[in-house]
Amino acid sequence: MKVVCDREKLRDGLAIVNNVVPSKSAKPVLENVCLVATIDGLEILGTDLECSVRYRIPIGEARESDTKEEKTLRGGVLRVDEPGVAVVPARVALDFVRDLSADEVVLSTQESSLTIQGGEDRCQLVTVDRDEFPVIAPFGEQATVAVQGGAFVRVVQRTSFAAAREAGRYAMHGVLSEYDDGMLRLVATDGRRLAMSSIPAERRGPTERARPAIVPTKGMQLFCRVISDPLETVQLHLGENQVGLKTKHAEIFARLIDGEFPKYQAVIPRETSNLLEADADLLARKLRLVANVTGVEARAVKLKVEKNELLLTGQSVGRGDARARMECSYKGAPSAEIAFNPDYLLEGLKNCEGELVRLEFNERTSPGKFTLGENYVYVVMPITVDA
Amino acid sequence: MTPVRPTILHVDMDAFYASIEVRDDPSLAGLPVCVGGPADARGVIAAASYEARRCGVHSAMPTAEARRLCPGLVLLAPDFERYTSVSREVMAIFRSFTPLVEPVSLDEAYLDVAGCERLFGSPAEVGRAIQREILRRTALSCSVGVAPTKFLAKLASDLAKPQGFRVIEADEARAVLDPLSVSRIQGVGPRTAKRLAALGVATIGDLARRERAEVVAEFGATGAWIHDLAHGVDTRRVSPRREEKSHGMERTFPADVADRDELRRHLLEFCEEVAFGLRDKGLRGRTITLKARYADFTTLTRTKTLDHPTNLGPRIYAVARELLERLPIAPLRLVGVQLSSLSDVRAPIQETLFEGLEGGSRLLRGGQVPGRGKLERATEGLDRLRRKFGARAVVPASLLGRARVPGREAAAGPDAGA
Repeated sequence: MKVVCDREKLRDGLAIVNNVVPSKSAKPVLENVCLVATIDGLEILGTDLECSVRYRIPIGEARESDTKEEKTLRGGVLRVDEPGVAVVPARVALDFVRDLSADEVVLSTQESSLTIQGGEDRCQLVTVDRDEFPVIAPFGEQATVAVQGGAFVRVVQRTSFAAAREAGRYAMHGVLSEYDDGMLRLVATDGRRLAMSSIPAERRGPTERARPAIVPTKGMQLFCRVISDPLETVQLHLGENQVGLKTKHAEIFARLIDGEFPKYQAVIPRETSNLLEADADLLARKLRLVANVTGVEARAVKLKVEKNELLLTGQSVGRGDARARMECSYKGAPSAEIAFNPDYLLEGLKNCEGELVRLEFNERTSPGKFTLGENYVYVVMPITVDA
Repeated sequence: MTPVRPTILHVDMDAFYASIEVRDDPSLAGLPVCVGGPADARGVIAAASYEARRCGVHSAMPTAEARRLCPGLVLLAPDFERYTSVSREVMAIFRSFTPLVEPVSLDEAYLDVAGCERLFGSPAEVGRAIQREILRRTALSCSVGVAPTKFLAKLASDLAKPQGFRVIEADEARAVLDPLSVSRIQGVGPRTAKRLAALGVATIGDLARRERAEVVAEFGATGAWIHDLAHGVDTRRVSPRREEKSHGMERTFPADVADRDELRRHLLEFCEEVAFGLRDKGLRGRTITLKARYADFTTLTRTKTLDHPTNLGPRIYAVARELLERLPIAPLRLVGVQLSSLSDVRAPIQETLFEGLEGGSRLLRGGQVPGRGKLERATEGLDRLRRKFGARAVVPASLLGRARVPGREAAAGPDAGA
């Protein structure tokens, strides 16, 4: 193959694909990227068998006389002189292209090597037999859910932080994604707190039912990384055992988590007797203040609300205690209290979209429901003493 | 920072288990006596009499090797019940002098005798009196170190052993410490000693002369600790209510085990027992450490810290198993599981959203039941059975019909954590 490509575009593509390429694998061929040059442009493929990426740098209408800016606008691949395939070490290819200073890079294959040339500088990488590299099926024509790229990134950020990281509880190691009546809903939980948020979405293609899917957190983060333009429309395919995401330049596939996601609807409180609204930033500041004295062994901050005043207290056997006060608006029992792990609340408040945060709860042993924005709910289980 | 007055005593029984055996069977007197596991089941020496030590035998040495070094070795199976009862007698003697007694193990304790002068005389006099009293009441000898800090007191008793008595005053600490090898410092194992040697540090004096910042940069928190000790600075107090820092079990197999399924079953058994032990003590642990020793004695550990503490066997096993998979595959001679970062079960509880196993919600059950998982509640019932009919009355199905290979229970205190 022989391809002339814009260096920055090639670097960006290699960098995105490198996100899935394992640095050390039991199957060494996975430590490579597969470069495919066609008359339409250059494709870069990488996989760790859990997640796969197909990144496309389209052939542009750029001319060699264009300025750098013009080339960037028009597309990354300047010329495909000879279609072909090369499988080369992913990390080395990225590092070399990144450190080149030329604007244009020429990729050309010889018998068993790929030459990357930029200006006077070049390297020759050993190629691997292309048949050893796993096949990554193209996205194809299938039922999809279309959403705006920026909205998708935001909804992932709003939820994925609550997914489980610990061993066990396999089904909670990902983000549940489901399409329901014009909305794409994402839910993540680690069994102690749960974040749920949805964005408008549109069904496209064949009208098969969009099934709920548990997408590994890593895959979700990768999806966000390839969405370069917040305004572009991206398409999500929720398949039987994998989820695919198609953007202007990339197709990504992640193997789904095979498990039963907990019945989350049941733990979101519907009727609550106590309702409190407070300034989100101020609450976060007061929480952080009081959390300073709480120990790792008993990380709890108690919220006590009475009339329109919120009292926060925290203590630790070895360190002492702290208290803070703030105003809030409150409706409910004459006084009520509930204790939470402050870290959980702070993680949620960081994503709060309005100035006010709303907390609803029934009693000190039942879940607290935080409303952090439109279509954005965060449920946190309290901490109690004396089981 | 060093307290001026030496009021801390370290009392260490001489060859405790072996001495009890000799005391109770005078025909053993003068013979190289050892207590430990049999050589053909790859036992190790738990205690060696001074006669045996002269041949180079020491505790923790494989019995087979001890036999090679000392062909006339008299090997006795350990009788921990007897040792424990003698230990209780000894500890009671300590407590008759001061309430500030911190047992380190069956045969070793720290005492703080500050404020005992009026009753029993100076710390040195108390030390002498304790030594006399133990000999009179139990017919066993011990060594006593008296110093201003725990580290120096232990050093003093070590230097004086056996049947020794030594006082290290604050102003002679420097002179005593300087010529000693760094490996005398608690926390300096063979590996740290090697790294120190590479830096040209062989004696405690060498270490003390180094800049603190330099030692900390090289060894982190351990560096600060050993540098302090090298200067005789040791702020640890004698605390009679010794808190457990970790709880675990390990076992040397009669023959190396290569089969992963077999290893997993051993691991499951350990996790169940360790979890039961924790529940029995009203504790939970957050950090799980897997220890594995290979046929060539290479020992590896893998650790994982959970978000929330647990004392449930299946939960511990899930992690331990994952840690096992991260170890290179080769026959193992020893496997152990340990939980640390322990906390009281009465500590505040983080409630959970979903029921432990089924994923059903507690709200479905009416929402008023304290949020504890089914596994927890089932375990409570099983524990009642275990307390009534023995720890092995209820075991996971995969462990049914397995003979129990005796393991060594290891509950380590603050010193081991240092």
